[in-house]
Amino acid sequence: MSHAVISCLHANLAATEAVLADIDRQGIEHITCLGDLVGYGPQPNEVVELIRQRQIPTCQGCWDEDIIDGLNSCECSYPSQLAERRGHRAHQWTDAQLSEENKAFLASLPMTVRRERLLFVHGSPNSQHEYLLPDMDAFAALERVESSGANTLFCGHTHMPYVRELSGGSIRVKVKQAGEEAASERKLELPMRRIVNAGSVGEPRHGSTEATYVIHHEDSDEIEIREVAYDIERTCRAIVDGGLPEVFAWRLSHGFEYAERADDASHVCER
Amino acid sequence: MAQTWLISGPPGCGKTTWMLNTLKNHQGQRGYLRLPGISTTGLEQADDGAIDQTYLQDQITDLIDLSNTDQAPNDQEQQLNLIELTQFEPPSSSALEGVDSSVIQQLEALGLRLDRALHFGRDDDLPKDDTLEFSRLEAWSMPLERCVWDPNSLSSFWFELVNGAYGDVYRAKALMNLPDGRAFFCNWMVSQGGSQFLPLESVAPPDGRPKRCSMLSVQGKALDGGGIQATIADCLLSDEVLELHQEPQRQQAELTQAL
Amino acid sequence: MERWALISGLKGDLELYEQIQRDLQATRGVNTLFVLGDVISPERNCDALWDRLQNPKRGDLRPNCIYGWWEEQLLAETGFRGDRKADALRLNHGEEVVDALLRAVDPAHLRWLVSLQFGFVELDCGLIHGSSADIGDELTPETSPLILIDRLTRLDVNRLFTARSAQQFRLELTGGGIDSHVKALGGEHKQQQPVPKRSVIGIGAGAHYTIYDAGSDRVDFLKAGAKAVANGRGFG
Repeated sequence: MSHAVISCLHANLAATEAVLADIDRQGIEHITCLGDLVGYGPQPNEVVELIRQRQIPTCQGCWDEDIIDGLNSCECSYPSQLAERRGHRAHQWTDAQLSEENKAFLASLPMTVRRERLLFVHGSPNSQHEYLLPDMDAFAALERVESSGANTLFCGHTHMPYVRELSGGSIRVKVKQAGEEAASERKLELPMRRIVNAGSVGEPRHGSTEATYVIHHEDSDEIEIREVAYDIERTCRAIVDGGLPEVFAWRLSHGFEYAERADDASHVCER
Repeated sequence: MAQTWLISGPPGCGKTTWMLNTLKNHQGQRGYLRLPGISTTGLEQADDGAIDQTYLQDQITDLIDLSNTDQAPNDQEQQLNLIELTQFEPPSSSALEGVDSSVIQQLEALGLRLDRALHFGRDDDLPKDDTLEFSRLEAWSMPLERCVWDPNSLSSFWFELVNGAYGDVYRAKALMNLPDGRAFFCNWMVSQGGSQFLPLESVAPPDGRPKRCSMLSVQGKALDGGGIQATIADCLLSDEVLELHQEPQRQQAELTQAL
Repeated sequence: MERWALISGLKGDLELYEQIQRDLQATRGVNTLFVLGDVISPERNCDALWDRLQNPKRGDLRPNCIYGWWEEQLLAETGFRGDRKADALRLNHGEEVVDALLRAVDPAHLRWLVSLQFGFVELDCGLIHGSSADIGDELTPETSPLILIDRLTRLDVNRLFTARSAQQFRLELTGGGIDSHVKALGGEHKQQQPVPKRSVIGIGAGAHYTIYDAGSDRVDFLKAGAKAVANGRGFG
């Protein structure tokens, strides 16, 4: 059996439809969504309704949370004043567009979805706002998976798909406690764990404009990263027609994220 | 006797850079003047304000401003005067005969007489590689005096500007203030690989908004001035945020003084 | 040369603080005092200690304070943490203790308390009540080294001084490594990452405190009122 994992749809209906069609063509029935259904893009209601209609198990992303709770995402996650102002503008626009029913759906989403030893989150098990970048410190990355009791952690949020395998790890320590004459030594063998980032359906930033998602082939336990072309023009027109900043259309059509991502991989929101 | 040369060429061909190097290497007195460009049908001249003048003056502190006839003599022994002129088309004939009569008149009014006229793309004494052919060009500029940029926003805006988010930009040139008191000469030309960001030597004190010349000048096609302006408004720091940057700088300065 | 005293968990006990100050005066070379939180507790009125920390007596080593778990509970309960109240305290100790905590500190002190930081980074050392992940994070010698590496990495420091567990220990990461294999659309990347040579130091609480000599990287675990630092007890 195979199952598909999608993330960061960002109210981009054309991209979401194209990705779901690609999944359907392969006869894959199980899909999990890692959140950020809305934000920046022009069709928040349509995308939320499509996910609801298809009954896709979904965890809550940082945008989904902010649209419910008000703008309380930690501001240090915006890399610049420009990104922050644009983010706030997109937030207000989305807030005004989204129906109460769809807001209630976003509010009902769980922070994590778990299937046996597979864990699905938006950012990291710690926070929807934490970026697990592919070059993050390998021990810290393993800690995220191990502390959550999973073998494979599926995440999104960075908009760049990757599969990271952490294996063959060990840590040796020497401990000296007060009142003890000698130090003791021990060694911890670390388990093999995996982080899979599903990329972004609606706002790719992996160097191309195509939507990305991943397929987990459970029989072989292999992960396939998929790229899907979609009608970007349609989304760009909707951005302009909907009254969102025109520069959003330009950024999307060039494969740049609406707001540049924060660079600090280890940053944790203290909120 | 002074030597006075006219350096002309299309926008972004490297006039300012070449003049800076030439003046820096010159041993005697040095003078500089930028003339308003000669307009050609369909090719708008950019309003450069005093971007080049400010940058050159910052780099060469004893540079004589030739537009100011009271300031200093323009005809000292060993003096080199460079006159910058944006001109799209090469002059009709080489050497001094090709110089537009209005240019000669302007220079005479300032007591200047040309010894040489060099045009980028024509004269071998000038670098050749980055001269572009233009057929249609719009110009757009925005004064930014007393404005201070959020540094990361400036880098995003500049990236969008030169990559076509606000129309087909061929040339962008600016002097921008940062909250730490530094200013950058930002320079981009479509024919060249990347942008230049050159810090000015002079640093503004951390007490309010800097008073030096600051502006953005853009040339290209289908320019979206409204879009540029809207983005810039999102990038500039408010008085409150600027004060958040400047207060620790003042404290640091006091501490350094006390030590 | 930097030589630090690190204390925590005074819990309103001014006498204990005075004893530690006397010890430090008798100890050669200690030039900086860090107080890693838990200055207050619901067990007694804390105003006298609080006053003393803000207004050191002549001869006191001036304290550099951060807030701890008990201060965090008080700040939350008095509205300085948004909607969040002292939930952890209420859950573990009940309403009575919450009330006792509110009574233990004069509200006039809150302004100073609010100005305190979460932690200090000095030289290549992080000084925090719990850890970089949470103020209530109890790091002990038994904590998984994987978690300890994470807490060190988050602050990007070589030594993390923590107080929350109240234990006195030094745990050094001495070796090991991990293989990382990243597959992305642009290609694959393999890397062997060694365990960084870093340490976590539990400084103790109450009468148990720690002296750290930054020059020699030597740690001494002490008890207030006991004999001054003996050379053989260190762990360098």
